[in-house]
Amino acid sequence: MDDLNVKNQPVLKQFVPTPPRPPRKSERGIFGTIRHRCFNSIGNSLLTLCVATVLFYLAKHVLDWAVFNAVFIADNRRQCMDISPDGACWAGVISWFNGLIYGRFPVDEQWRVNIGVLLGLVWLLPLMSKRIPLRNFILLSWIGLYPFVGAYLFLGGRFGEELGLVHGAMTCLALAFLIIIYANWILSALGKKGLNELFVPLVSRLVERRIHLLSFVAVWLLVALVIALGLSQVSLEPVPIERWGGLFLTFIIAGFAITMAIPVGVILALGRRSKLPVIHWLSMTVIELVRSVPLITVLFMAVTLLPIFLPADMEFNKLTQVLVAVCLFAGAYMAENIRGGLQAIPKGQYEAAATLGLGYLHTMVLVILPQALRMMIPNIMTSFISLLKDTTLVSIIGLFDIMLMARNIANDKDWVGMHTEPLVMISVLFFILCYSMSQYSLNLEKRLKVDR
Amino acid sequence: MIQSSTSKPQKSPTKGTGLPSSTTQKWMSLLNNDSSRAVILQAIVLVLVLFGLWFLFANASENLNRLGMTFGFDFLQVTAGFNISWSLIPYDPGMSYWRVFLVGIVNTLILSFCVIVVGTLIGTVVGILRLSDNPLVSQLARWYVEVVRNVPLLIQIIFWFTVVFSTLPAPRQSYHLGEWLFLNNRGLYVMTMESTLSWGWIVALGVALITALYALFRWSKPYYTLSGSRSTGFYIGLVAWALVACWAIWSFSNSTSLSVPTLQGFNFSGGAFLPASFGAAFVAMTVYRSAAIAETVRAGMQSIDRGQHEAAFTIGFSRVQSLRLILIPQAIRSIIPPMTNSWLAATKDSSLAVAIGFPELVSVFMQTSMNQTGRAIEIIFMVMGFYIFISLLISYLLNKYNDSVQYKVR
Repeated sequence: MDDLNVKNQPVLKQFVPTPPRPPRKSERGIFGTIRHRCFNSIGNSLLTLCVATVLFYLAKHVLDWAVFNAVFIADNRRQCMDISPDGACWAGVISWFNGLIYGRFPVDEQWRVNIGVLLGLVWLLPLMSKRIPLRNFILLSWIGLYPFVGAYLFLGGRFGEELGLVHGAMTCLALAFLIIIYANWILSALGKKGLNELFVPLVSRLVERRIHLLSFVAVWLLVALVIALGLSQVSLEPVPIERWGGLFLTFIIAGFAITMAIPVGVILALGRRSKLPVIHWLSMTVIELVRSVPLITVLFMAVTLLPIFLPADMEFNKLTQVLVAVCLFAGAYMAENIRGGLQAIPKGQYEAAATLGLGYLHTMVLVILPQALRMMIPNIMTSFISLLKDTTLVSIIGLFDIMLMARNIANDKDWVGMHTEPLVMISVLFFILCYSMSQYSLNLEKRLKVDR
Repeated sequence: MIQSSTSKPQKSPTKGTGLPSSTTQKWMSLLNNDSSRAVILQAIVLVLVLFGLWFLFANASENLNRLGMTFGFDFLQVTAGFNISWSLIPYDPGMSYWRVFLVGIVNTLILSFCVIVVGTLIGTVVGILRLSDNPLVSQLARWYVEVVRNVPLLIQIIFWFTVVFSTLPAPRQSYHLGEWLFLNNRGLYVMTMESTLSWGWIVALGVALITALYALFRWSKPYYTLSGSRSTGFYIGLVAWALVACWAIWSFSNSTSLSVPTLQGFNFSGGAFLPASFGAAFVAMTVYRSAAIAETVRAGMQSIDRGQHEAAFTIGFSRVQSLRLILIPQAIRSIIPPMTNSWLAATKDSSLAVAIGFPELVSVFMQTSMNQTGRAIEIIFMVMGFYIFISLLISYLLNKYNDSVQYKVR
């Protein structure tokens, strides 16, 4: 019956939607859009006019103060006032610029800070290219080894005297690793084998297994030895930690917090998700306690309680105490982000991993965490941004970070009472840093969405 | 050998199941078995933690002995002896450290309460403006949020304090609004009413009046929904209520006198006083919080299906009506959890007012009192305990509220 009907029916016409009409002429073009969206009713027009007026006067005042009436060259605040009483006195900020960046680091030794930061960036540079193999490995080496190089350059001194021998060995190994990364990069671009394969023929005659690993270790140690010989000739002027400051110190604290937040957070989050009651309750207590108190109290706690609760003969400087506190704080917040990611992983992933015969560690490291971390990238970046902002709190307990340096300008006898300009300057700096971080995270989010 | 449980697939059961239970491998199999390994692992962690705690406390008692200090809360009864620049509850230097703690708590709570209320209001408005069709308005709201939330709060607090509030004129040239409000670089002086009646009675009467009005409306509502007009009883009740209210206001105004701030020497006396540090902390934190809340509100509004906007538009709702009746009630559900976090953060952020010397808990107790008494452990314990208590309380209350607004599903 049905078949018959279908056969006898005429072929149905295909539904063709009428194409949408173009917007009205009055709504097209730039003026049309403006008229349609800003002046489409009396109320809206008034609103637009009000906002435009406010914006105009705001921009005019800010520009007048910051640019047109500002003084860029002067010896002291008096002079600034004489030249232009109602403009910004950028001369003060410029004369203190060095202090804002390096704190009280000795001027002759500041090249070391530059070199140290540059080395850190150069180390991370290969990560930008997608063709480099073992990118995770490079990142791990940066987290594990770069701090030694940085500490050596920033602290100065000689190994075995001011600095420990272990520190020296690690510094040499770190530098050697960096050289191998770059040598391999260049060699692979030339189409040759990597530097770490140098001893493969030699090693393969001696042993049969793990030839490449042994060869790599041999090359690594050799390069490190050469560097150690070189470094033993160099003597850097020691700079005590108390003289670190400015943007440099802010970056050290923020960088340390950011790098430590992920490992601490992963451990705490996995602990909180654990089925073992002791571990679960311990992690949960730590996370909840740390998250429910303000950072400033954690900092006060670290500064006052660590010397009491640790052996009397242990030496402390404020920076170490602050780093411990910030690390704990960042870890607890990160743990909640990561836990969110872990909860979003479907149960099938765990079951699939179990079916493959993977143990807990392998399941987590190879299957679950990569997905969870990737899913949580926006939240993790938000945490990083707030960590960067929160580093300003260390100024309250007296570390000379960029905030305290900026506030100190007002105490300089040449620039007495100059509060506004330094604060505006570091606000702009933080804005640029945090805003670019948040834009980068948005970008990353979009890219990862495309990937999936 | 205990059989490994198969109900925990992520705990690597594969290794433990097939091992022979020979005597040499017995302890190995114990390690490879899920349930026994769990016990061993937990025991190790517990022992390590207990050892760590023992280590810390042994060090602490040794260090305290060496420094000649003792542990105990007896210092709370000792006279503090320092002045606190502003306090809502009566305080003078002759009072104890316990009183200092209470002053700090009250000041912290007042500051965070004001910030939460005003910040939420402004934040909601900015969040809605951010979704405005008018590009000028939405971009203005967007850049307000971007600028405010990308600059550290501490910088903003210090900015408002040193740049705005400290550069206000001296008391003699203060800005004033008639005779009842004076603003100068010391703070804000407001006219207050002083009553011979006790405040408890006044508040009780006010509450009773408002409850009565609410009850009246509630009572007349069934008739109103059925007929569309109010019953006569409602109007009689309203008149009676108005008479009582007039009497209350009349008797109140008879028993009160105004306390006007007047300039005496270099400062004002009379009226209520809010210090400049409160103003700066309040403005900075409110602005900062409003930006965070605006983002929350925007995300919540955007999480509503676009069809809801369009449906409201189709029925002929105005923009305000559709927001009030359709969009906000739905958005509330996804807004509340992040809003809770934001409020908790506001409470915690109030501790930053220490940087400009506003006498809140960290400032009066963790800095001044700790420097004077040296009782670091006890003081940090108390301050952290307070913040933890507040956090738990706020999250508990808001979880309750959250449960009540979520979709009811079986």
